[in-house]
Amino acid sequence: MTRTNRLEGFGFIAPLLVLMVVAFNAPIVYMLGLAFWEKGRGFTLEHYEGLAEAPVYLRVLGNTMRIALIATIANVLIGYPLAHWMRGLGRRGRMIALAMVVLPFWVSILVRTYAWIVVLGNGGLVNRALQWSGLTDAPVSFLYNELGVTIGMANVLLPFLVLPLFAAMIRIDDRLLQAAASLGAPPRTIFWKVYFPLTLPALAAGALLVFILCLGFYVTPAILGGGRVPMISNLLDTLINQIPRWEQASAISTILLIVTLAIFAAYRRLDRKASA
Amino acid sequence: MKRRTFVGAAAALPAVGLLSGTARAQVKEIRMIESGGKSGDSIEVGYIEPFTKKTGIKVIRESPNSLGKLRALVESGQTSTVLMELGSGTLVQARNLKLIEPIDWAAVNPAPMFPEARNEYGFGYQYFSTIMAWRAGAKAPKNWAEFFDTKAFPGKRCLPDFPHYSLPFAVMATGVPADKLFPLDVDAGFKKLNEIKKDIAVWWKAGAQPPQLMKDNEVQYVICWSGRVVGDPAFGCNFEGGMADLSYFSIVKGSKPEDRAAAYKLMYEMSLPANQAKAATVVSYTGPSPELDALLPKDKLSEFPSSKQNKAVQWFQNAEWWAANGEAVNKKWEAFKLGL
Amino acid sequence: MTREAIGGSPWTRRALAAMGIFGLVFLTVPLVIVIPMSFSSARALTFPPPSLSLRWYETFFGDPRWMEAMWTSAFVAAISSVAALILGGLAAYGLRRGTFRGRDWAEGNFMAPLIVPTIIVAIALYLALAKVGLLGSLLGLVVAHTLLNVPLVMMVLGVAIREFDQRIEQVAWSLGASWGYTMRKVVLPNLAPSVFAAWIFAFIGSFDEVIVTSFIAGKYETVPKKMFNELILEVNPTITAVATLLIAFTVLALAAVAFVLGRAGKLKETGV
Repeated sequence: MTRTNRLEGFGFIAPLLVLMVVAFNAPIVYMLGLAFWEKGRGFTLEHYEGLAEAPVYLRVLGNTMRIALIATIANVLIGYPLAHWMRGLGRRGRMIALAMVVLPFWVSILVRTYAWIVVLGNGGLVNRALQWSGLTDAPVSFLYNELGVTIGMANVLLPFLVLPLFAAMIRIDDRLLQAAASLGAPPRTIFWKVYFPLTLPALAAGALLVFILCLGFYVTPAILGGGRVPMISNLLDTLINQIPRWEQASAISTILLIVTLAIFAAYRRLDRKASA
Repeated sequence: MKRRTFVGAAAALPAVGLLSGTARAQVKEIRMIESGGKSGDSIEVGYIEPFTKKTGIKVIRESPNSLGKLRALVESGQTSTVLMELGSGTLVQARNLKLIEPIDWAAVNPAPMFPEARNEYGFGYQYFSTIMAWRAGAKAPKNWAEFFDTKAFPGKRCLPDFPHYSLPFAVMATGVPADKLFPLDVDAGFKKLNEIKKDIAVWWKAGAQPPQLMKDNEVQYVICWSGRVVGDPAFGCNFEGGMADLSYFSIVKGSKPEDRAAAYKLMYEMSLPANQAKAATVVSYTGPSPELDALLPKDKLSEFPSSKQNKAVQWFQNAEWWAANGEAVNKKWEAFKLGL
Repeated sequence: MTREAIGGSPWTRRALAAMGIFGLVFLTVPLVIVIPMSFSSARALTFPPPSLSLRWYETFFGDPRWMEAMWTSAFVAAISSVAALILGGLAAYGLRRGTFRGRDWAEGNFMAPLIVPTIIVAIALYLALAKVGLLGSLLGLVVAHTLLNVPLVMMVLGVAIREFDQRIEQVAWSLGASWGYTMRKVVLPNLAPSVFAAWIFAFIGSFDEVIVTSFIAGKYETVPKKMFNELILEVNPTITAVATLLIAFTVLALAAVAFVLGRAGKLKETGV
């Protein structure tokens, strides 16, 4: 197959591209454009200046990124061992585990989030178990704080990390590891010097994806945060629905979008490396 | 000859126009956006049913409502939705943003109404109150100073995640009487909230949260909407110092004249005390008729926001002040929550 | 020279198993909670349920509004998931196999609905649909859901197409097969499990979409919109019954597909 045709394959993406541009790009650009426009006065940067003067909205954005980072790390700490363990299972074990990873998708995110209230509440399962076993004597606050939001988000987004990571891990040939062993390397070295570097691109790509999804999350922080965990989506909801200062919302969204796109570009590069 | 037929034809045109005009003005249905839930059901039962029976016009309800939706409706130039439910603060904002039209009260010709419900831009169809409530068995506070006293009244609080519902009560707790509340001493309010902030377990955004949290014993004291807690033996509540407020229906800007006429007829139905009494059986909020008290069940009078006894101890929300200062206060509110 | 040499001491392996099992438990806790709660007789969301009853299923099936929401959701999900699958699948194929310029830009654009905050998408679509008079219409909902689920489809199919050895296609072409034939007889059968997975993700994604739908659905109620409104207005275990029914439906669908594919021996070939 010669590769000189610069338009080769364009026809495949054309229908989706048309739909996207008309039904998505145009409206979004209009919304974001509001940040640069003042009715009657034309192009202006005063909405961004307003953000800089009263930086509380930017602080919420920073808060969101911090929480997203913590949730992503939690995902990695739980997800990597899970995927690695799944790799070591037999065919049947892998299928069952895979089903258990994927099945939560079928439960509505609203219901999943409310289930965590039942589990983590003051009178919930975890607290009851802790008190019954004598580990604590007063209920521990798992809910309506950052801890609850982190747990909830980690729970919802874990499959997004585990699935591609697992796919990358099973592509690592066992014979590679056996070769290293036969050369005298101890298991720890095999893992950290051979196995882990091979999984790193997929891990990084998955982590970035989870991070991006955390940034835009609305439902779980709204329900599990109890109003005490200010995140950017909930702030945007207030600015759009309650106040309504669409211009400010657009300015914040544009900043958020630029940050996210930069991270997404990094994700794409790592994703390509992972599949090489 | 040609000229006469032409003139004759030209003379006939307005007549045809008049005929087709009335034919066009035959409205079959109108659309409203309301807040949903039991409130929406009460509108259906109390007002839409008699309206449709009298006029044959259907009312299509849509929910939820928000100022954002109203702004999008008007900016996109649509004309299909004529009625929008708005809170008192959002009514003023919508008016300032020129998103709603003034009401032609002569055309509505309502039955007698409380004056505050007869707004230039909105029909106040529903009184609701924001009051203090507690889990049955907890020590009952008598006023706001006691409610905000976590030493004498220990327990977790759940407050509205809306400055216009929380700050005024905090300011009252510092000793300011209701008639001197506005202009609001916002800093005093934040100071009070900061004093007890580690005891505020949840800031609620959904009206269903406070009663649920009390039932789960996550919190013991809440500030919430009266309809959620009155008449329920699991809770105690107190209208003392509570904030009475109205929900309004407004006409969306750019509505068609025939839709507007139909909407006015619906508003007329909303002014009749008999209909309001029916609506009050679905949800414990009251309509704006002064004669409503007589029609409500006597033993339940204490549950209704605008019954004489409750009106006496409450104060009314100051929508104008919030419309002017809301955005600045909201910034302080976000900063306050970041420090939680 | 196998497990010990590579996997480390039995303690390391046991610790790994513990972490793995913890991960699975963590993931499935909501499932385990929700299903019994749907059979609870209590009015509030309590666990464990005080006693068993089918009242929430009765409430669900007996309420015409829930049934209508179910019908609307199923309709929109079915059409939008197929549309997302076709459009997204073609696009994924074009992106992987094509050589035209600006592929990265196109791909970024297609992923955008996942990245832009949903509330912004909601308002943008509200304005756009209102301008063309599609606000509160089923067509508008289908278009919105298609756009929102295309990124998921493209992610799943993108990986599958990349894994699929292009040389197999090239062999088919060099043997004289037309594009259509190659697609139908060579590519699609091999990608079948991924295609099905992508479709399921799109279907569930549409069924679960709440924020944009709350804005643009008008008088139409979908299952998640009704759930969200109920949770906002009145917490009610009917939603657990709905969730359980959805789980049951998809498990049955998956089992049916696995049975059919297993018979055809396809599962072995995917190497899971």
